[in-house]
Order: sequence, then structure tokens, then C-alpha cells
Amino acid sequence: MALEFDRSILGQVFDETVFPPVTKEEILEFSSALGETNPLYTDEAAAAKGPYGGLVAPPTFVTKLRAKKFTPEHLPRFGKIGFDGGRDLELYVPVRPGDELTLLSTIHEIYEKTGRTGSMYFIVIRNEVKNQKGEKVAVIDHRIMQR
Amino acid sequence: MSTGYFEDIEEGDEITPIDLFLSKDQVRRYARTAHMYVPRFTDDEGARAEGLPGMIAPGVMSMGLLARMISDWNQTAMIKRIGTTFRSPVLPDRDIHLRGAITQKNEADHTVECDIWLENDDGERWVIGTATVSVPAQS
Repeated sequence: MALEFDRSILGQVFDETVFPPVTKEEILEFSSALGETNPLYTDEAAAAKGPYGGLVAPPTFVTKLRAKKFTPEHLPRFGKIGFDGGRDLELYVPVRPGDELTLLSTIHEIYEKTGRTGSMYFIVIRNEVKNQKGEKVAVIDHRIMQR
Repeated sequence: MSTGYFEDIEEGDEITPIDLFLSKDQVRRYARTAHMYVPRFTDDEGARAEGLPGMIAPGVMSMGLLARMISDWNQTAMIKRIGTTFRSPVLPDRDIHLRGAITQKNEADHTVECDIWLENDDGERWVIGTATVSVPAQS
């Protein structure tokens, strides 16, 4: 049976969240929590001599941005329990201290997979991250699994 | 640590592995900085109340650790794309192993495709994924 839901929700921006400027301390703390050793992410003076001319955030820093609304209102539930299925990240320009990031959220895709244990439903929330210059920073696809 | 060039990499190469003890405190610290300070990531009791075997590490933390493995392996490499599937909850207070291998070289744009994964002592792959990484060429 084909999944039944209002397909007009796909691709519609349901949330736009603007974040306060990223601080140097926030980047250093994030790097440290992951045990990063690359001076680009951990050492302001060394990073200044590197390819970006200054400190940048590790690639997965953007995953900590939380939209005001995680899903649109009226999103149908397809299963009883939800799991975090995974993430796909595409990265463009790096995040630097002082950046004011904006997150635009859409439902990218909803699909069904049938496995040994029955049907599973995947909802893909796409978050596009832009900086204050309007540059594309990242696209984050978040796969939520329901069963 | 390495700063190898694209020319130095061969398909099938291992990404320098990382073995680490994932402590509960490190998970709590990550959860705090990533605004994920909720019981499933901070204490065993709270996690059990949600039906989990004990506190777990956020999926995005595992993804961050795998990204760190790539950046430790080659500090001049830039991750263009990284995707991870969270197959099983990652339980802290034990050793975890970060692993990866180069599966393909793309001569046209000096990028490499990698398989990456996080496994436990029994070799169970709790997190699997792939990445596309740009590596500077010598010429």
C-alpha cells in the first residue's frame, strides 16, 4: 500500500531559525568534547596561518543547531516509536566565530521500507544552513525512523 | 598525524584508526555543548525509564568522532560530505573503535570516497557511513 499523506508538505519551509553569533569559546568547547587535535579547530594562532586564515568549527558543528520547530504541525505519525536513523551532511563554507547562522527546515522525503520485522517509515528532515553573508554553509538531512 | 597529498593515497588504504575509551563524562560533556542534555544522554536511570539499556551517546557525537578520525588522519583534508547510519545505540563506559578505509579515488576533483564505521570490542558496527573528502594534490 502506498503511503498516504498530503504530499504538498514536502519541500515547504516550516521553520526558519536565526541563531546568535557563534563564539570562539563554543567552537573550542565543541572541538574539545570530540577530542579534536587539528589546530584548525583548536588553536586560534596556528589556524590563522592555515588555509582559512583563522579558527573554523569542526564539520559536524552544524548538527548542534536546533530549530525552534523540529517537525511541521500536522505531520502524520506513521509508527508508534521514533528512532534517530542517521544524518547526511553536505558541507560548503566553514563556520567561523562571529557567524550568524540561519536554519531553514523542510520535509524532504517520506518513504516506507519493509524488512523482516515489518514496515518502517522514514521521514527525512532537511535543514539548510546559511551564514550572514547568505553563503550556503551546509545541508543536513536527518533521517527519522518510525515503526 | 599526516598531511599526505592526494598522490600518496591509494584505494584500499586504511584511515589511521582510533581506539578510545568513551567515558560517560565525555558523553555528558558533548551533550551539554550540543544542547542535548536530556536523560538518555546523561544518566542510566533516566535512559532506562525510556526503555534503553542505559545512557547512550548521541548519534551525532559518533558522527563527530568519525569526522575527527578523518581530520586526525590528514589535517589538510576537507570533508565535503559525510553520512552516517545509527544502527545500534552507542553505549559509553567502554572502549570503542573508529575505523575507515579509502574505497575510491576521484582524479578529476582530487577527492576520495571513504567507508567509515564505529565498532565495539566484538567487532559489531554500531555506526556505519561514508564520506567524500577533498585532499590537496602535490602538482
